[in-house]
Amino acid sequence: MNKTLRKSFEFSSLREVGIFIAFFVILAILMILSPNAFAKPANLVNILKQASINGILATGMMFVIISGGIDLSVGSIVALTGVIAATFAHPGEYPLIVPIVLSVVIGAAVGLLNGVSVAYGNIPPFIVTLGTMTIVRGVALIAAKGQPVFNVTKLFEGIAGGFVFNTIPHLVVYFVVITLVCAFIITRTVFGRRVYAVGGNETAARVSGINVDWIKIAVYTLSGFLAGIAGLLLASRLVSGNPTAGQAYELDAIAAVIIGGVSMAGGAGKWYGTVIGALLIAVIGNGLDILNVSSHFQLIIKGSIIIIAVLLDMKGKGKQ
Amino acid sequence: MKTGKLVTRMLIGLLVIIMIAGCTAQPTAAPAEPAAKVQKYGLFMSHMTNAFTIEMSDAVKAKAAELGVELTVYDGGQDAAKQVSQVETAVTQGITGIVIEPVSVDGIVPAIEAATKAGIPVVVVNQKISKPEAASAFVGVSNVDGGVMEMKTAAEAIGGKGNVAFLLGPMGSDAQLGRTEGYYNVLKDYPDIKVVFEQTANWKTDEALKLVENWLQTGTEINAIVANNDGMALGALKAVEDAKLLDKIKIYGLDATPDALAAVKDGRMAATVSQSTTAQGATAMETVVKLVKGEKVDPEILVSFTLITIENVGEYLK
Repeated sequence: MNKTLRKSFEFSSLREVGIFIAFFVILAILMILSPNAFAKPANLVNILKQASINGILATGMMFVIISGGIDLSVGSIVALTGVIAATFAHPGEYPLIVPIVLSVVIGAAVGLLNGVSVAYGNIPPFIVTLGTMTIVRGVALIAAKGQPVFNVTKLFEGIAGGFVFNTIPHLVVYFVVITLVCAFIITRTVFGRRVYAVGGNETAARVSGINVDWIKIAVYTLSGFLAGIAGLLLASRLVSGNPTAGQAYELDAIAAVIIGGVSMAGGAGKWYGTVIGALLIAVIGNGLDILNVSSHFQLIIKGSIIIIAVLLDMKGKGKQ
Repeated sequence: MKTGKLVTRMLIGLLVIIMIAGCTAQPTAAPAEPAAKVQKYGLFMSHMTNAFTIEMSDAVKAKAAELGVELTVYDGGQDAAKQVSQVETAVTQGITGIVIEPVSVDGIVPAIEAATKAGIPVVVVNQKISKPEAASAFVGVSNVDGGVMEMKTAAEAIGGKGNVAFLLGPMGSDAQLGRTEGYYNVLKDYPDIKVVFEQTANWKTDEALKLVENWLQTGTEINAIVANNDGMALGALKAVEDAKLLDKIKIYGLDATPDALAAVKDGRMAATVSQSTTAQGATAMETVVKLVKGEKVDPEILVSFTLITIENVGEYLK
């Protein structure tokens, strides 16, 4: 046990060191370019807050990608669960628990549908989740009648909008707790090891007696569940449910996972890489906004970093 | 196993056929005898995913019902190619008149030309196409005027001097270009107002929220945030409220969406500008029916904007 623990924290390839170095280099550059705004403690908290929702989605995405799959539906799930949450959060209608439970249950249900289709329908995950991405977006638009759902309770706004000790945004607390729980699951449980096994070599996993179908269903359900939480948090943060929100969030989540060193082929990757990936995306967005760099240039920079991360990955693998 | 697969495939095939049939069979009016030609109008919307497009299509539908004509609504899904083929299909099926809110102001021109050549009147609504003479008439607002109204209100409210930040729509879109041009037209008269930030948030509330949070981190003084639409203004509002700066920063939007109207009513948003969407839709429908009857209409019919502040917001809240 102790051995696996230590192993899970070792830097096993150039790539994983590379991502930490890259992160701190970019952080340092931005601190030098903008010492009075970017480097302020308040802004660092702000960055953590802005990384939280993508970080939660990326954690779920990480499980799916390690298992050898992909989940394109999370952005649409964020929109749908956000709309549902806001719909049930009007003042004087339902207790706060109703929007909370509904959004996570609906998120998990969509994930379950993805998982069952992938595992038993034998449909490629890209196609299954492309389909549910489109369907769920449609359902969100219908549920919201094409318009933002607003007028929610103060209590609902407080879910994501509040602060702990008046300094740490609730969003950051959720991000940290979810990350730690998921890190425990992926590194220290039998289930976690089986996720790696399924992604590494599905046939071998099946032969060795792992119920591959169940593992697949579980990872997609987890991803959907976390997307449901993200949808609830976004609706609380925006004080409204927007059926068009969350567009391309799946791509940011995938980007965080890839930048963090998880192999798109499955079977390899570390949870802390994903955290750094999500932080890096938030740092770049925040730093460039503060430096007043056009959002069009920001896209080029973000895309380049993704490609460089994968290049490092290939180089790292070549050397092993 | 094999038969099982076959059955599944047949079931899927059947399902697809049912779905396609379900989609195409929407206008259920029974085909009348060919001699009495049924007047079928079509409304082609760029998409149906926000408050504006919903209000627009509702207004056109209401007017069509009032005038007693049959109307089918087509959703272009923000896909320029899809909208072109929707128009082409409708023309071959013998549509009487077309109202279109285009996805692409350039891409739609050939389809509109084909329709008018076939003798079908086309009224373009809200977004002017790049070759206006291709259509029979345009009903809309001048985005520049809307930008002028919004910016002028903001400039006067901050006393004609100070710092402003602009939240822009998707760069290059008709509304973004026009509204922003309006802002700068006003600024010519206010040399003491400085634009400290100007960035796109693609009409989106979540993008605007992040962007304004980051702007506020710089500590740059901002007196007003002027947004190309209300969705982004509401994102800005949340960021400003979270930073407890609402007493220092005034927020302006455009579109008069229900959530923005509520914010204006509560005194949290300073003002929004209505592009009189319902009036645009109703006028467009009226115009196309007039054209079908052979009446003459102006090639460009402009509906005026309305400024909405805390004083008159009550009239617009439903």
